[in-house]
Amino acid sequence: MKNFIANLGYFFKEARRIIFSNKLSNFFTFSGTVLILLIFASVVAGWSVSSRLVGMLEEEAEISAFFDENLDEKEVFALAEDLSKLDGVRNARVVDESEAYKRMQEILADDAGILELFEHNPFKAYIEIRIDPGRTESIIETVKGFKEIEYVRDNKSVLKSINDIIRGIKTFGTLIIFAVGITTIIIISHMIRQGIYNNRDQIRTLRFLGAPRTFIGFPFICVGLFMTVAAGILTSLVMLILIHKVYQIMGGSIPFIPLPPVADLSLGVIIVIMGVSIVLGLTGSLFGLSSIKDHQ
Amino acid sequence: MIEVKEVSLRYRDGTLALNNINLTVGDNELVYITGPSGSGKTSLLKLIMGMEYPTSGTVKVMGHEMKEEKSEELRNLRKKIGPVFQELKLVHGRSAMENVMMGIRFLDFSRQEIRRNSADALEKVGLSHKADSMVENLSWGEAQRVSIARAIARKPRLILADEPTGNLDHDNAVNILNILASFRQKDTSVIIATHATHLIEDQKNITIVRMNQGNISVEKRGGEE
Repeated sequence: MKNFIANLGYFFKEARRIIFSNKLSNFFTFSGTVLILLIFASVVAGWSVSSRLVGMLEEEAEISAFFDENLDEKEVFALAEDLSKLDGVRNARVVDESEAYKRMQEILADDAGILELFEHNPFKAYIEIRIDPGRTESIIETVKGFKEIEYVRDNKSVLKSINDIIRGIKTFGTLIIFAVGITTIIIISHMIRQGIYNNRDQIRTLRFLGAPRTFIGFPFICVGLFMTVAAGILTSLVMLILIHKVYQIMGGSIPFIPLPPVADLSLGVIIVIMGVSIVLGLTGSLFGLSSIKDHQ
Repeated sequence: MIEVKEVSLRYRDGTLALNNINLTVGDNELVYITGPSGSGKTSLLKLIMGMEYPTSGTVKVMGHEMKEEKSEELRNLRKKIGPVFQELKLVHGRSAMENVMMGIRFLDFSRQEIRRNSADALEKVGLSHKADSMVENLSWGEAQRVSIARAIARKPRLILADEPTGNLDHDNAVNILNILASFRQKDTSVIIATHATHLIEDQKNITIVRMNQGNISVEKRGGEE
């Protein structure tokens, strides 16, 4: 260990020399790694946003129960009280006609003027029931069983569609992660093999002098790490800019998509990218070293 | 220190480099291996270094039998040897000092010792003033001395030099042999392979191993050096 620390400066100097001994080839390796990590970072960001969207939609899981119009106010509140006591129901509250009208005005925003075409309020009062999303089916059946309830409206189909999209994103993301991992490992290990080949005389001499494998190999591991970590840092910077740009665009034009806070998303993506960069750099270097040792 | 017993070495192409040879080298010996080109001098040194393995017979160096499968032992043994290669094996793009330091960085020396030993070794071979010169800019004789400095900076128990006087004029060759011979100490032996027999004619207290077509004859020459 004492020996290792005493040689840290040497290892870094050797790594720098290996990188700069083949500038053009290593520049392309670096650029390729940045592009691959950018694809990976975009998938991670998309995954993060979509997972949050699903989480929020699930949190907001609710059904609307429309009741018999002949019920008086007292009976309606009693019905809401009964519904709120059902197993799996988080709460139930009455939304009267005027609140329903206001909600639609908020949803339509600039187009809300269309509601003024109606002479009377077209919306009916209903009971808004927030439920455990895992028990949607059974709760709907129970609520339908109440004789005062005329019909129930739910957002099951919307949730199912979104879940299908998310599943697609996750499958695609998993494939991308595999592709990114394998491609980066191959690129880095190839670069290491090239470095070993270029320095084969020096390596052979060191072996004849009794240098251990760790001493010979560590500069090459540093090379792999430097390349991927530098690529990770550049990718993180590009992603920071991209995320801010996308937030500016989406925040203005698609306001109903619940994006996570920009700082949280940026930090999460940076942590993942840097972690993956380190792991892939190490793996690629070790793979490069191990695959060539028998030929030296 | 070295025990070579009934050793033969045949290369893959069928060439018989060494033919059933025996040799013993003790501590504090200065051994010259002489003979014409192709007589087996380098092959014998390679066996002692563990760069080749005998087809038959045994080679023991400092108690370790040289076998291919004992790679960890071999690595540790090599740490105790200071080799001076025929083709020098210096690393281009590095200074003389860096080349010497590179040969001892993985030994049990502190950072200060690595630098001090390397500087001392360069001083002993008379190259302190070229410490920062790139090795590719040195003359062959200077590069040869850097190679020797790399070997002796390791504080080895055995110095092996393969044709260290090759490509050198008479004065430089004598100088190199004298430098190498000076490192023979109480527990350090020096083995030098050379075809320049005229340079060692007058030397005393040495062992001369004469090689010819894979066979050897040993002459122990006593008296004052």
